[in-house]
Amino acid sequence: MTISTAPVSDPVATDAPPAPTRRRRPGHAREWWLGAVLVLPAVVLAVLFKLVPLVRGVVTSFESSSGFGGSEFAGADNYTRMFDDPMVLTSFRNALLVVATLPVWIVLPLILALLIHQRSPGWKFFRAVYFVPYTIAPIVVGIMFRQILAPDGPLNALLRFVGLQPLAIEWLNGRYSALFSLVAVALWSFFGLGVMTYLAGLATIPEETLEAAYLDGAGFFRRLWSVVVPMLRPTVAYWSVLCASGVLIWLFPLIYALTQGGPGDATMLPEYLVFLTTFQFLDRGYGSAIGIALFVFVAVLSIFSVRHMFTEGTRKPR
Amino acid sequence: MNPRHFARIGRYLLTFALVVVAVAAIYPLLFTVVSSVKTQSGFADDPLGLPAGITFENYLEAFRRMDMPRLLLNSLVTTLGGLVLSVLAALLVAYAVTKLRFRGGKVVFLLIIVTLTIPSQAIIYPLYQTVLDLGMSGQYQGLILAYAAFGLPLGTYQLAGYFQQVPDELIEAARVDGAGHLTILFRLLAPIATPAIAALAIFNFVWMWNDLLLPLVIMGGSDSKTLMVGVSLLSGQYDVSVPLVSAGLIVALLPVLIVYLVFQRQLVSGALAGSGK
Repeated sequence: MTISTAPVSDPVATDAPPAPTRRRRPGHAREWWLGAVLVLPAVVLAVLFKLVPLVRGVVTSFESSSGFGGSEFAGADNYTRMFDDPMVLTSFRNALLVVATLPVWIVLPLILALLIHQRSPGWKFFRAVYFVPYTIAPIVVGIMFRQILAPDGPLNALLRFVGLQPLAIEWLNGRYSALFSLVAVALWSFFGLGVMTYLAGLATIPEETLEAAYLDGAGFFRRLWSVVVPMLRPTVAYWSVLCASGVLIWLFPLIYALTQGGPGDATMLPEYLVFLTTFQFLDRGYGSAIGIALFVFVAVLSIFSVRHMFTEGTRKPR
Repeated sequence: MNPRHFARIGRYLLTFALVVVAVAAIYPLLFTVVSSVKTQSGFADDPLGLPAGITFENYLEAFRRMDMPRLLLNSLVTTLGGLVLSVLAALLVAYAVTKLRFRGGKVVFLLIIVTLTIPSQAIIYPLYQTVLDLGMSGQYQGLILAYAAFGLPLGTYQLAGYFQQVPDELIEAARVDGAGHLTILFRLLAPIATPAIAALAIFNFVWMWNDLLLPLVIMGGSDSKTLMVGVSLLSGQYDVSVPLVSAGLIVALLPVLIVYLVFQRQLVSGALAGSGK
């Protein structure tokens, strides 16, 4: 995250190094060695705990290795099997349904941040309170919400109290209400981080800019739409990145605590299926294949974000 | 109705909306606190209301069942180790990539942030295998290194972005004054980037302390398992009452809540200073 509020434009062109100087000045080689030493720990970490497992996962995904026995090469069997496996297909369909809620994840915290940014009385209090759910571990959140969402729990008591009797359902026991509840609980747990991120972005918009727009006769919504939103674009992009690459991952502990994938396969998501297949059914080859499919799914979702981060991180400030 | 009335009604609506969200944000926590001080029969009689009397028996029982001191120690060691290592490695990379004439720096930078797209769930078994091969399964260092690796991409990205803003002239001036690279990094750049480092440290603390999958798989049922693994095991026991689980939950979430409340200012200013890009 950087401070500059310069619009994100033309990032690739500025990337190109200034005409390379062929003549090496003394000290260059030493700086290279120093650089290599400095990046070593990070590279070792990234290779050892991310890339090596990824490659091993790819290798394992082409093997059939169930139970405690050895493993043998199985070609693309695990992959073709996935396409005939209703559980896998459902899990990815559920994942798509979850991804479809991303706009809510992006817009809701933005609205709340804008409301807090109005600096009405007590805004600091609200800012502090909204972040509290994020500090609570997702597994703890999941176990907590078992009670909140219970058929006779406080949520349904409230709904009955305000006369919305028909809405007081068994939240975790319906085909769609279970998945909906999971996403809602995840949103409860993460929206505070979004609000904080947006508030940080809002703080970079100079008062004078808004003042000028105000003096030019722009109303509240006009200022919001024509000044605030465009200047906030980098923050929106950053938060979208985080949500897109994170939303599926964030659900794992909640599924673990709340639904275990059920009822039936209503809340089965790829990340939980990988866990089940590998550690409960001990089908490592198949589990790895589903894991690789999940990796591709997440990578496609977040490839734009990585590109954005790369150009941001290597761009020279103007 | 004149505009001033209109504005005032707007204010009321705005505050009302903020209050509703605040109640929704805090109520589940309050509910859990209240449940945790009820007796088992008290909860069965009236699960939603305020307790007739306050008991701390559930907390004592939770401590008895979970070997709480050991779990707290495990969580503390792995979280602090992971966050220090992760921030340190990110600092070094960010410096090398942004401030050194270091060919290949961009490739390294890309390599590290690309790993953001590899979720732990997708590679969990091969990761477990790798940790096992390194002889680190059930060991502090296994989880610490894994935490550090998973915290690396965002940390590197944030610090690189921050260093990018520091003018190269400043570095040049320090070099002319005879400062070495490590001096520049730790005495000049790190202090400038303190807000970003603080925010990053708090962010890492929260997710590492709260993570379930990595400790579940790397630590398993060993004595080195973290608090979150302990809590998930407790809630799975068949004879556990809601008040008892609630007490366990409160103990598990309290450390992070305290860290947050103590460092709230740093978190906000860090987030502000590094405002999202």
